[in-house]
Amino acid sequence: MSRFFYSKIAVNNIQKNSKTYIPYILACICTIVMFYNMSFLAAAKNIGNLSNSSSLRQVLIFGEKVIAIFSIIFLFYNNRFLVKRRKKEFGLFNILGMEKKHIAIVMLLEMIIIMIISITAGVLIGIILSKLIILLLFKIITFKVVFGFEIPIKSVIHTVILFSGIFGINLCYNIFQVHLSNPIELLKGTNAGEKEPKTKWIIAVIGVICLGRGYYISLTTKYPLAAVGGFFTAVILVIIGTYCLFIAGSIAILKMLRKNKKYYYKLNHFVSISSMIYRMKQNAAGLSNICILSTMVIVMLSTTISMYAGIEDVLRNRYPRNISVNAYNVSENQIKKLNDVIEKQTSILDTTPMNTVSYRYMYFITTQNRESFTIKEINNYIPSDAAELVFITIDDYNRMSNKSESLLKGETLLYTLNGNIDGDEINLNGFKFHIKKRLPSLYKEGRLTSIMANSYFLVVDDMDTIKEVQNALKGDNGNIEYVSYYYSFDVNAKRDIQIKLTQALKKELIRISPKIDIEGSESSRKDFFELYGGLFFLGIFLGILFIMAMVLAMYYKQILEGYDDKERYSIMKKIGMSCEKIRQIIKSQVLTVFFMPLIVAVIHLIFAFNILTKFLSMLNFTNVRLFVICTIITVCAFSVIYTVVYVLTAKTYYKIIRE
Amino acid sequence: MPILEVKNIKKVYTSRFGGNTVQALSNVSFSIEKGEYVAIMGESGSGKTTLLNIIAALDKPTSGDVLLNGESIVSIKERDISAFRRDNLGFVFQDFNLLDTFSVQDNIFLPLVLAGKTYEEMNERLKIIVKKLGISDILNKYPYEISGGQRQRTAIARALITKPQIILADEPTGALDSRSSDGLLKLFEEINNDGQTILMVTHSIKAASKAKRVMFIKDGEIFHQIYKASMTDEKMYQKISDTLTMIVTGGERNE
Repeated sequence: MSRFFYSKIAVNNIQKNSKTYIPYILACICTIVMFYNMSFLAAAKNIGNLSNSSSLRQVLIFGEKVIAIFSIIFLFYNNRFLVKRRKKEFGLFNILGMEKKHIAIVMLLEMIIIMIISITAGVLIGIILSKLIILLLFKIITFKVVFGFEIPIKSVIHTVILFSGIFGINLCYNIFQVHLSNPIELLKGTNAGEKEPKTKWIIAVIGVICLGRGYYISLTTKYPLAAVGGFFTAVILVIIGTYCLFIAGSIAILKMLRKNKKYYYKLNHFVSISSMIYRMKQNAAGLSNICILSTMVIVMLSTTISMYAGIEDVLRNRYPRNISVNAYNVSENQIKKLNDVIEKQTSILDTTPMNTVSYRYMYFITTQNRESFTIKEINNYIPSDAAELVFITIDDYNRMSNKSESLLKGETLLYTLNGNIDGDEINLNGFKFHIKKRLPSLYKEGRLTSIMANSYFLVVDDMDTIKEVQNALKGDNGNIEYVSYYYSFDVNAKRDIQIKLTQALKKELIRISPKIDIEGSESSRKDFFELYGGLFFLGIFLGILFIMAMVLAMYYKQILEGYDDKERYSIMKKIGMSCEKIRQIIKSQVLTVFFMPLIVAVIHLIFAFNILTKFLSMLNFTNVRLFVICTIITVCAFSVIYTVVYVLTAKTYYKIIRE
Repeated sequence: MPILEVKNIKKVYTSRFGGNTVQALSNVSFSIEKGEYVAIMGESGSGKTTLLNIIAALDKPTSGDVLLNGESIVSIKERDISAFRRDNLGFVFQDFNLLDTFSVQDNIFLPLVLAGKTYEEMNERLKIIVKKLGISDILNKYPYEISGGQRQRTAIARALITKPQIILADEPTGALDSRSSDGLLKLFEEINNDGQTILMVTHSIKAASKAKRVMFIKDGEIFHQIYKASMTDEKMYQKISDTLTMIVTGGERNE
């Protein structure tokens, strides 16, 4: 009998709070669907058929972990909001004679109801959607569709355990909250008085400095390698800056606006500025979270989308020719054999090499000190003063670029990809070159595409000079027979022929020397699609999840404020404010709160643009125009979703106030 | 011409599904001249708050009319009503109804901002009023930082700053201690002496005894009224007290 009584109360409570509980349950369901699907993909057997599935699976397992962590934080945050709203209700129960332990039973029952609804619906919808999702993923990575339907029991169990755990933690938190406070406090609940926040100039200044420094790093980054380190420093600085500015800067700006009497004493400004100052203390952190999250979502989406859209460009950048052979430290004899093998294999498959590029070269990783260079041991880590020197002969240069330059011994043509050498002299551990000319461009391919560190390309008179340079740099006096050799070509053949040719070459060339690499763009294409497609898929998936989270956070925030503001607006109405005016003010106020983080996010993005393009170029993506277009599309799509939610929220907010 | 005329007001509340009807006001008529200070007394449920709400244009009567300066409040269109209220009526509430997001000064400015006045004009009006009410030093404080009496003064300043035709006060001393109440009533007398018309609804005999006229409302009708004329406060107090006793014990209507 009494259990029946409690469950009745629990059901009643959920119904009564439907305005906040329905979005909460929906959010739970969405999160569960998302998690189940990611977990499903990570476990799906179908994916096991993919050739390079381990890298894709790793991306997916990573995605599963991200979503799990995210779900915990997200649902906990929203639960906290719900409990805050309902403290008054529990206080009333308490005063009417329910003990805290009875309240705990009611809360437990409520949580169980919500949990059963969410997990059942979530898993069911997840299972139904999973087929669609895997089709989508296969479409994205251009993999042939597999028939059949799969429900990995492991994923279902993971989902149920994770979310039962989350609900359990939330329940404990709620009970603890109610347990901590006395009835009077519970009754007062949300309306604890707040002092006007002070302007914190120091924090505002720190914010400006961090943000400025972050922007400066981003704008002045010239080299892709520097972009890696710089990027993370800049991100951290910008995050700190955003927090500081939202916390202190917003209050400073609002107070400045308030000082401007002409501006402040206009009805719209009057009401919204004062209430924003009043709220900023609790809002600032939330707004900066939303701002940072928006920035991340936009960056993630725009980069993954543009990389995926530009995958052909990336392939062509990475593999300028269909097939390329890179031989390290081979002798002239081996080079000759190599050429023969290529000729033979291509003719077996009935094709001929076209657009051939071949050259002998030698490269050294060095430490640069202005115009002098000394040799450097290669580790995994490349310091910023590292410089790569690549030597080719004038004959190869003339042949590749159709020129007829001539050089004397001790003279060089210099092409600088990254880095800087002042003056006309280069000193290579005692071996000196005079720079005859600086080349504005160089045919770049093979070793010549290396763009990680500072790179200098030196064209010298002949092979012997290169060997002398090696002696000077490495200090061994022997006569070195070995050079590196690069040979690449296009073939006019279908994809499967190209793949066959690449495999045949691999087999044959390994016999000549184990230090020969063969790359075929067609045989790599699938790997690229899997990796980039997987990232793209993950980007979209997480993007949607984060957007949903953000939207719900905003919605809740506004509703909570709506209940706070209700009384205020009723007073204003009594004093003589019309409903029309109230509506206008609410619109502009909600608009500001909603779009401020978005605007700041877009500003971040504009400043980050330079460093992002550098970052992408390291991943062989250099199509800046495509990146711009993708970013703009992402921002627009994002704003549209945002606007829809804004309209819905403003409506609900107004409804609450009019009640 | 009287400043406020209430003619045969009737108010019937119908419950949501049209079942029960409750008659809050059956037939109320009275008029108030410019410069008067009138108190309306009655028990809970006698209909006095309903009456005040109708006069304040917050509620519409079922039948009858309310004229302010000869103009009918009842027939004002919905979208003009806020402006009308703002320009002609000043409100003082039991629980002050100050906004805690605004400083004292901004709370007082609120109706003027609503009316779209310039800062200079607002400031000029403010200076005169705060001096009279003795709240010049707390203008930059927030409502939660000041005492109840100060809050009510702020509310009065907010009501006065629009130079309303009439001030409507709903239990203005209800939430105040006796010292603050005395101060407030003295203030009302002063304002009234300056020519401000005041209509006050109250439970408190003490508050009512300061008014120039007291009307008693019972079961939705004006039951009785007393003019103070040259009576002392004590005499007035006694008379009001007697009348209330009579109402409660169900005595005959006299005078």
